[in-house]
Amino acid sequence: MILTADRVRKFFVLFFVIGFFIYLFGPLLIMSVTAFNSSAFPRMAPFECFTVEWFQVLANDDKLVEGLRNSFFIGIGVVLLAVPLGLAGALMLTQVKERVRPWYYTIVISPILVPGVVLGISTLLFWDRIGTMFGASRESLFYDGFFLTIIGQATFISAYTMLVFISRLQRFDLSQEEAALDLGATHVQTFRKILLPFLKPAIMSAAVLAFLASFENYNTTVFTIISESTLTTFLAGKVRHGINPSISALAVIIVLITLFGAALHEVLKRREAAAAKETIRIVKGEQAHRKRATPFMLDPAVILILLVFAAGLGSAYLAGTVGVTECKAQVKAEKIQRTQERIKQREARAMFRNAPAASEAAGQQQIQSADKSERAGVSQFQSIFSTGNLQEQAGTGDDQSEAEAPETESEESPPAGTENFNSIFDPQNLNKQVNPDAAQ
Amino acid sequence: MSADVQLDDVWIRFGDFVAAREANIHIKEGEFFSFLGPSGCGKTTLLRAVSGFLDPSQGRVLIGGKDMAGIGPNKRPTALIFQNLALFPLMTVWENITFALEVKGAGKAARRKKAEELLELIALPGQGEKMVSELSGGQRQRVAIARALAAEPDVLLLDEPLSALDLKLRQHMRTELRAIQQRVGITFIYITHDQGEALTMSDHVAVMSQGVIEQVADGNTIYNRPESAFVASFVGENNLFTGTVSEVGRDYAVVDTPSGSLRARHAQRDGKGQLAVGDGAFVFVRPESLQFAEERAFDNRISAHIHQQEFEGNFWQVFFNVPGSDKQIKLSMINDGRSVGHDLGEEVALGFNADLTVALPHGELAAE
Amino acid sequence: MLAYWKNFFRKHGAALSLFLLVSVGFWIFMMIILPQAFMLDFSLRANVPPPKWGTDAHHYTTEHYRYMLYGSAQSSDSYNFVDLSVFGRTILAAIFVTLIDLALCYPVAYYLAHVSRGGWSRLMVMSLIVPFWVNELLRAFAFKIMFGSNGIVNDALIWVGVIDQPYDFIRNSVALYSGLSYAYILLMIFPIYNAVESLDKNQIEAARDLGSPWWRIHKRVVIPHAKPGITSGCTMVFMLTAGALAAPQILGGPSSLWFTQIIYQAFNQAGNWARGSAYAIILLVVCIIFVLLMMRVFKVKLGEIAR
Repeated sequence: MILTADRVRKFFVLFFVIGFFIYLFGPLLIMSVTAFNSSAFPRMAPFECFTVEWFQVLANDDKLVEGLRNSFFIGIGVVLLAVPLGLAGALMLTQVKERVRPWYYTIVISPILVPGVVLGISTLLFWDRIGTMFGASRESLFYDGFFLTIIGQATFISAYTMLVFISRLQRFDLSQEEAALDLGATHVQTFRKILLPFLKPAIMSAAVLAFLASFENYNTTVFTIISESTLTTFLAGKVRHGINPSISALAVIIVLITLFGAALHEVLKRREAAAAKETIRIVKGEQAHRKRATPFMLDPAVILILLVFAAGLGSAYLAGTVGVTECKAQVKAEKIQRTQERIKQREARAMFRNAPAASEAAGQQQIQSADKSERAGVSQFQSIFSTGNLQEQAGTGDDQSEAEAPETESEESPPAGTENFNSIFDPQNLNKQVNPDAAQ
Repeated sequence: MSADVQLDDVWIRFGDFVAAREANIHIKEGEFFSFLGPSGCGKTTLLRAVSGFLDPSQGRVLIGGKDMAGIGPNKRPTALIFQNLALFPLMTVWENITFALEVKGAGKAARRKKAEELLELIALPGQGEKMVSELSGGQRQRVAIARALAAEPDVLLLDEPLSALDLKLRQHMRTELRAIQQRVGITFIYITHDQGEALTMSDHVAVMSQGVIEQVADGNTIYNRPESAFVASFVGENNLFTGTVSEVGRDYAVVDTPSGSLRARHAQRDGKGQLAVGDGAFVFVRPESLQFAEERAFDNRISAHIHQQEFEGNFWQVFFNVPGSDKQIKLSMINDGRSVGHDLGEEVALGFNADLTVALPHGELAAE
Repeated sequence: MLAYWKNFFRKHGAALSLFLLVSVGFWIFMMIILPQAFMLDFSLRANVPPPKWGTDAHHYTTEHYRYMLYGSAQSSDSYNFVDLSVFGRTILAAIFVTLIDLALCYPVAYYLAHVSRGGWSRLMVMSLIVPFWVNELLRAFAFKIMFGSNGIVNDALIWVGVIDQPYDFIRNSVALYSGLSYAYILLMIFPIYNAVESLDKNQIEAARDLGSPWWRIHKRVVIPHAKPGITSGCTMVFMLTAGALAAPQILGGPSSLWFTQIIYQAFNQAGNWARGSAYAIILLVVCIIFVLLMMRVFKVKLGEIAR
């Protein structure tokens, strides 16, 4: 083929892209899985039992609930401050003189480029000094963690919301404002009746953006929050002082919420873009196709998100309530059993050495599997195989087909599956596998 | 109620650029008045000065005899119809129409009633609940007019409102606009670069070029008695001969051109536009004023070679080469069922009379 | 000037003008400029307990900046190797992380913008938003799980047979650098994607048609076009990495510190706010220099970087 090099390159790029997406989602996925594993240390494998107990642990954590509540109120506060500030900033940009505009823009955009810790520190110091100047008491606003955090976060979040408004305002037809004025509206009326309705989708998406940005902020908050706590500072403390799967559980909730928020944001943005297209059509004098925008809650994307959300929560709850205790007991029992088997196996080996021909067929198998597992270099395997073999020996040692069933099964499976394979050799499972074979 | 509009020595400057200079116009109340000119001539600037979106750098704008200085657009008795209409896309038709009442605090019932009245006037009854986006171009046009009329202005300002429409709709809307103006009886000030619109609808037309008002008159005068080379070349089609004045009479002038001496109307005026013997001059004659001379007597007679003939149904357009000019001249004759009667390349004599010919001093010509 | 404001008020009416001026004024002065100015002032004063602020004891001094250099307020005999090396390591690591992210993101951005087609591509781009919005702390936590001694990475490596004992990724900063690259990677990919996507496909076709090899197409056509996006991505990633606090706190080994952690310690453990401010100023200055450098080298405007 002539294009071989080209093909190889294309294949390589595709491989790279797939790898990138695995890199992107793998960690989140692994973390989410650990939240449902009953293992006391957050891990994906070995997966012991499906459980939602870590969510219950979370729900009983008062500090978390408090941090969550604080984060929520701070988020609302930031929305209430950053949305008007961003709006004013964007409107002002259209008003300042050409000469001043680059300077103005540089100043209002700079908080995005300043490290979050710097913003937090400067906010803290500044209001402290202001408080001292006015001789305010330590209980006053200037030393209040909520107030400082809202101010500190809004410093840069306002720049985010401003960017949202700027991009929306670029599509605003100024003659609309003039038309309203010309028809006798006052400036305030024009603002309220013409500009605000036009900006409504941008206001909504800016609010969502501001809330999310506030909710997940850590760098600024950690300095300004003082003695209070937010979700992120609580989380940081918890993660630093040792990890357990309840953090994963919290992560799952936050991932779900942010998924929801991100999708909501996306939907709002799409609707805004659609509305903008509509406006362009109107300006161009074309006939629009759609009658009216569908109500927000009836947007297919929104419905889909809500459904997935509900289905996920529901199934997690159902799955979590069924059979956790039994499974845990079983895992515990298996662990104990495994230890015992290991001891037994050791004893059995010792026996083999002493009496090589106890049972020829079974004996050969035993050696084979023992060799295999030794080659694989995973010590746990030994116990698995020996468990099965021991059972065979004990129960149906004579029946060749039955004895082979678990053997083939374990050969086909990748060695990586370690303890999970216990279940195959579970007496009940063994029967299930064996019976169809026997029927044949 | 209606009001007159007066521009008193209005100048409008943007930095060094002069958008309008020395504008002196008196628009009588109840009149349909048009500003006609190519884009960029300053007509929209003057309109914005009347509507209050910008202040003249110098001079006064008076509406109903009242000086408008310092009065914002929302306080003036004017309503403007924007070039792109600027209908509010997030409002229904009736909300659009009654916006002016809404901002004055009128109740919903009153607004509804007014909306019905106006929808009746613009022949869109029962369409009030629609969104603007559901209307056709012509319907939007009428909604924009209704919205402006709802403000009960003394003066309605229209900034090329028909330019977005297709030809047929445009011609229909002309008639309709004129009818609406006669019904409501208020002053209309209309901005256009389309001379057809200006001539058909207006009581008076002001022709503008590069910030200067060249001539203010009724359509007939503008067409037949242009007062500047720009007006003559911008309004309608005109054949141009260039030459030197050899004789000036009380109401005529004779101009020597490469095609011969041409006798043309030249009204004695005071001040600008006066020709004297020896001056360079333009001679304009309309295509429909040219005739195949045959044996008949004409004030002017030139010879030309037929270059091309175009058949347009109701008209024949015949193009000629004339000596001393690389530009062709054009003759329009009504199609009376016969052919032009001459062949391509044939040399013919063309005749035209002095009262249909205009001599004007050199000046800026409209771009073709 | 007076005429300008008069016109401003006339144009917007009193209420609206007041809203604009008060809001923007508050934002610019009370939230952006003055806090930074106060922090600078504070960093240049002696470290005294709050009740003495504003008194004579709170005099001006450069001791905190000297401390950063020499490890002592008075002598200049030896350098403060601890803080300086942390500082240097932070900056170098931030540059390293930026380059890694650039190398990872450019091919993917190009692929998403010009190779993949239709709904599939749209879905991929949209799905990028999800990890973007997951909390920074949790992303770091996910890496801690993965790189732990019982984590999936160690399990996998042992299974493959590369190593036979769990490797301590945390102590050796591998987890930290991976976590940092991961944390801000989307701020690299979105700007590049947006820039590359706006490139007219025909330009690439034309270059290919003229016989240009693929790497030259990128060098001469795609990269110059995507320059503002690349600059924006690099700047954002560098700033956020250098200023990161969560990831180093969670993923950093016991012996390795990040510069922000030193600032954090000065505030929360040593109680030396003045030194913390001085260090914060140093971080801010570095970031400003970096942005200016990027603007100068790549000849882009600030507006193209932050959006």
